[in-house]
Amino acid sequence: MNTIALVGNPNSGKTTLFNALTGSNQRVGNWPGVTVEKKEGNIKYKGQIYTIIDLPGTYSLGSFSEDEIVARDFILKGNPDVVINVIDATNIERNLYLTTQLLEMGAKIVIALNMIDEANAKKIEIDVNALSKKIGAPVVPTIASKKKGIEDLVSKAVELIHKNADFKAHISYGENIDREIENIKTVLKDANLDYPADWVAVKALEGDQYILKKLEEDHDLKVSNLLKNLKDKIGDFELEIIDKRYEFINNITNEAVKFPEEYIETVSDKIDKVITHKILGLPIFALIMFIVFELTFAIGQDFLGGYVGTAIEILGSAVENLLISLNAPDWLISFFIEGIIGGIGTVLEFVPLIVVLYMLMGILEDSGYMARAAYIMDNIMRALGLQGKTFISMIIGFGCNVPGVMSTRTLDNKKDRMIAILINPFMSCGARIPIYLLFISAFFPDHGGLVLFSLYFLGIVIALLIAKIFSKTLFKGESSYFIMELPPYRFPTVENVLRNMWDNVSEFLVRAGTTIFIVVAILWVLAMLPVGVEPYSQSSILGKIGTFIAPIFAPAGYGTWQAAVGLFSGIAAKEAVVAILGMVYAGVEEGTALVTAIQSAFTPLSAVSFMVMTLLYTPCAATLSVIKKETGSTKWTLFSALYSFAIAWLMSVIVYQVGNAIGLG
Amino acid sequence: MLKEVLKEIKDSKYVSKTSIAKKLNTTEDVIEQIFSELDRMGYIREDNAKSCNMKCKGCSFASLCNKVPINTVMITEKGEKLLNK
Repeated sequence: MNTIALVGNPNSGKTTLFNALTGSNQRVGNWPGVTVEKKEGNIKYKGQIYTIIDLPGTYSLGSFSEDEIVARDFILKGNPDVVINVIDATNIERNLYLTTQLLEMGAKIVIALNMIDEANAKKIEIDVNALSKKIGAPVVPTIASKKKGIEDLVSKAVELIHKNADFKAHISYGENIDREIENIKTVLKDANLDYPADWVAVKALEGDQYILKKLEEDHDLKVSNLLKNLKDKIGDFELEIIDKRYEFINNITNEAVKFPEEYIETVSDKIDKVITHKILGLPIFALIMFIVFELTFAIGQDFLGGYVGTAIEILGSAVENLLISLNAPDWLISFFIEGIIGGIGTVLEFVPLIVVLYMLMGILEDSGYMARAAYIMDNIMRALGLQGKTFISMIIGFGCNVPGVMSTRTLDNKKDRMIAILINPFMSCGARIPIYLLFISAFFPDHGGLVLFSLYFLGIVIALLIAKIFSKTLFKGESSYFIMELPPYRFPTVENVLRNMWDNVSEFLVRAGTTIFIVVAILWVLAMLPVGVEPYSQSSILGKIGTFIAPIFAPAGYGTWQAAVGLFSGIAAKEAVVAILGMVYAGVEEGTALVTAIQSAFTPLSAVSFMVMTLLYTPCAATLSVIKKETGSTKWTLFSALYSFAIAWLMSVIVYQVGNAIGLG
Repeated sequence: MLKEVLKEIKDSKYVSKTSIAKKLNTTEDVIEQIFSELDRMGYIREDNAKSCNMKCKGCSFASLCNKVPINTVMITEKGEKLLNK
């Protein structure tokens, strides 16, 4: 019985073609000695039965995977009578790489030019006759999914079985390599090989480990000497051989395939000329971010903001009424109303703004703009003598500093990595947003976008300055040189944008229900103790802790015990700052909106100073723990916690004192 | 073609596979494949921000990581040597 093998790239429609050929007449097993699936079936054509073997999908016939070895071994040793090479017509150039390797083997091939309908739809024009002539094998257009062209393909394959023809591609790999091939062929003349000598010669020069091992096992002195001589040459030969294959393919497609002019390329290039411009790039980046923050407030606060606030108020009243009707003790009512609703509820009021912000950031990310932003910053960072790639981890830090710190693993040397880890917490993460939003609502409701933008910008500037100082002092050395890849622009999809938003918001909500809940619960207990003390007063344990810390913050304009415990709780999780402020202020004056309490406890200047502090001070516990894990050092973790606190305090004091001096207080 | 791609990477301010494909009169898929080959052979090192050596599945912070990785490319010493030949 004659055998026909099917070979092709993954996703070329090979399996669909196999199913179309064999129908239900299939058997599934494994290739001997490996875990690769073996599928075979029979077809009947003009009264004769033929076995069809579906070889594993592969891009090339090297020895980098079991699939590749199985496919090439079957073609070379299994001796199929003919090989059907399934090519995805929409991606013909890439698929022809495998074809070229089949031709190097001298396999008898028929090309199934599959998905030809999709290629036509993409305006890829393929001259089938010219293609067949250039490859030196029959080419049959097929649409396997619609069972079109199948009979013609089988007819061509069967015809070929009985035909003696030379299918070997005569690719010249350049004078040097061609000479080496001839030398190897001479040496291998008497060697006991399962493969054709000229193919082995090419593979050996390509550095194919499987073939080199086979040659080593030959134990022939001549072969051993040959291998010794080859060792130094292999590296560059491999590149030359692959290069020549692409040249061969290019030669084919230049004559037989016409690709459409892709409009998107020109548009992408044109946009990039402006957006990544040396001088204009940075102001454009700043403008885009400013618009994002302005829109966040316009949509998130003005349109959606009130609804969540009202919902939480209604929920608060309902819970309170329920607890009263159940005769719940006062402490329980206090815990739920002041602790949970007053604390966590306050954090949740800012969810609409966070939803809008992450949707807008998702649009920037999905469109490909973030890569441009990284490129623009890469230029600036390089000008400062820093590793430009650090900015990628900084962008991730905008979402959360934990993955931001983790992503520094992609940096090569220790110097770049340590700097990137230590500056990442200056990137304003999502958890800090509620703090800014609270103070913006209290003091700068008409300039929310500008304040938010300034804070993010300040975070970047401080990070860059500190990085520069570290690279000149603590971590000296050369940075490695990376080039940023700019993918083509694309229209953001609704699905991706919504998913990005939901991932961030759901994480925020989960933390509100877990970490912040625990922090609030613990601090609520401390605000109630010792027994008999006035709850939430300065005499409570929480009040005493706050009073002890508060003087540190007096020069920055917010030396109150409430602000101090708020900041203290932020080391556990940044979202907790607002929750704790909500709890301690709501507890003192029942029914007072937190915003009103903040307005009487802070001035606009001390509010700015407080926001600067929260932007820059000690990273949260999760970030510190990942810093410890990544640096493997308690010393650097402590350093990160303390130096960022010192910088934050200094900046906060500068803002407050200078502001006062120039009359802003 | 491989050396030409390497040269394009070297001479560009940034890597755009679309532009390289256009310049070398081929498709982006082929350039993608050539990048993989150059990376495999050690002439360049391709990197993306997602490659933190941790599987996203099981990482509790995966949802907060970037969804569209920003790739970078570096020409290795071997690549530089080849270009200087």
